[in-house]
Amino acid sequence: MTSAAAGPGPADEPEDAEESRDAEYAHLVPVLAEHAKLDPSDPRREILRDQLVTGYLPVAQHIARRFAHRGEPLDDLIQVATVGLINAVDRFEPERGSDFFSFAVPTISGEVRRHFRDQGWSMRVPRRLKDLHVSINAAIADLSQSLGRAPRPSELAEQLGLPANEVLEGLAAGQAYRGSSLDEILSGDQSGTTLGDLLGEADAELERVDYQQSLQPLLAELPDRERTIVMLRFFGNLTQTQIADRVGVSQMHVSRLLAQTLTRLRERLESGGE
Amino acid sequence: MPVAETGAAVVEIRISARPALIPTVRAVASDLAGRADFDLDAISDLRMAVDEACTTLVALAVPDGMLSCKFVLIQDQIEVTVSTSTPAPGAEVRTDSFGWRVLQTLADEVTAAPVDGVPEALAIRLTKRAGATQ
Repeated sequence: MTSAAAGPGPADEPEDAEESRDAEYAHLVPVLAEHAKLDPSDPRREILRDQLVTGYLPVAQHIARRFAHRGEPLDDLIQVATVGLINAVDRFEPERGSDFFSFAVPTISGEVRRHFRDQGWSMRVPRRLKDLHVSINAAIADLSQSLGRAPRPSELAEQLGLPANEVLEGLAAGQAYRGSSLDEILSGDQSGTTLGDLLGEADAELERVDYQQSLQPLLAELPDRERTIVMLRFFGNLTQTQIADRVGVSQMHVSRLLAQTLTRLRERLESGGE
Repeated sequence: MPVAETGAAVVEIRISARPALIPTVRAVASDLAGRADFDLDAISDLRMAVDEACTTLVALAVPDGMLSCKFVLIQDQIEVTVSTSTPAPGAEVRTDSFGWRVLQTLADEVTAAPVDGVPEALAIRLTKRAGATQ
């Protein structure tokens, strides 16, 4: 991870914040040491890793928030920062003498910067629409939560105090937003347990349709996250909003991912089948 | 102002049966659903369903043929009929495919049928409702 010249930089942190921070996370230092010593195959390592990631999560969230309001939804930034944190936990070597923060903070910020660099809009979208996209995304999350279903454009307009036309414009601009790079970053880090359960549930459904031979290897090729989303939508019959909630990304993101994955599957089915 | 104020509103577009033009149809589908105040899941579902239906029929169409996409808005639902001419009578849309499974999941109703009186023509008709709760 290079220091991205193009990426935005976070605001500087006051020096004296460091000491209280060290005290706050002191209980995790022995866990870091134990985690680093364990063999990767040791089941205890996984437990400690979870504990560390959960324990240091406020650090990742803090870094993500420093990059907020730059045109990326905060929930996506927190996710990317969390991936950075997981990488930092996995790669940290306490015997090298450095403390965890001086290793983790640049690792996490680097991941977020990389996200800004990779994550772009597939066409030129005016600043106003990008900002609108961010507020709409936030309103979608709020309303999905309170309504228990996906909101309608009229409900978004009311929530945001904007004319319906403007919301529709913002939603259309969202279609120009390219979301795949985030998912490539994330795909390797998802825990496989939910997917396993999920595939179990979906197996009966899969057998009903005569494409097992052709589709299953293609599903297996997909990154975990994409496969999970496709399975949940087409074999688990969950809505995009339910999937967003379960997988922990925005509904717009699920929508983009599903469309991209369907196209990819279709291309692969066409080239491989018949 | 709502699109479907009274009675049915109709939008019909005809494109050359080429994959490169499908995004245009898709954009029309999501624009109509958005203006009809479909919930976001339903807008996205319709968009993908139209994409799937068009892709399926483009693959079966006569070379250099046309594809017709008719959207009928009635109250809180949109009915889409995608149709095209196939090279020979008797062409069929496979309903044991993953693509069909996708259509069934995304649309509230979907059927594949020959077009009345035109033996070479094939159509996919689908219905999408505005959302789960009114």
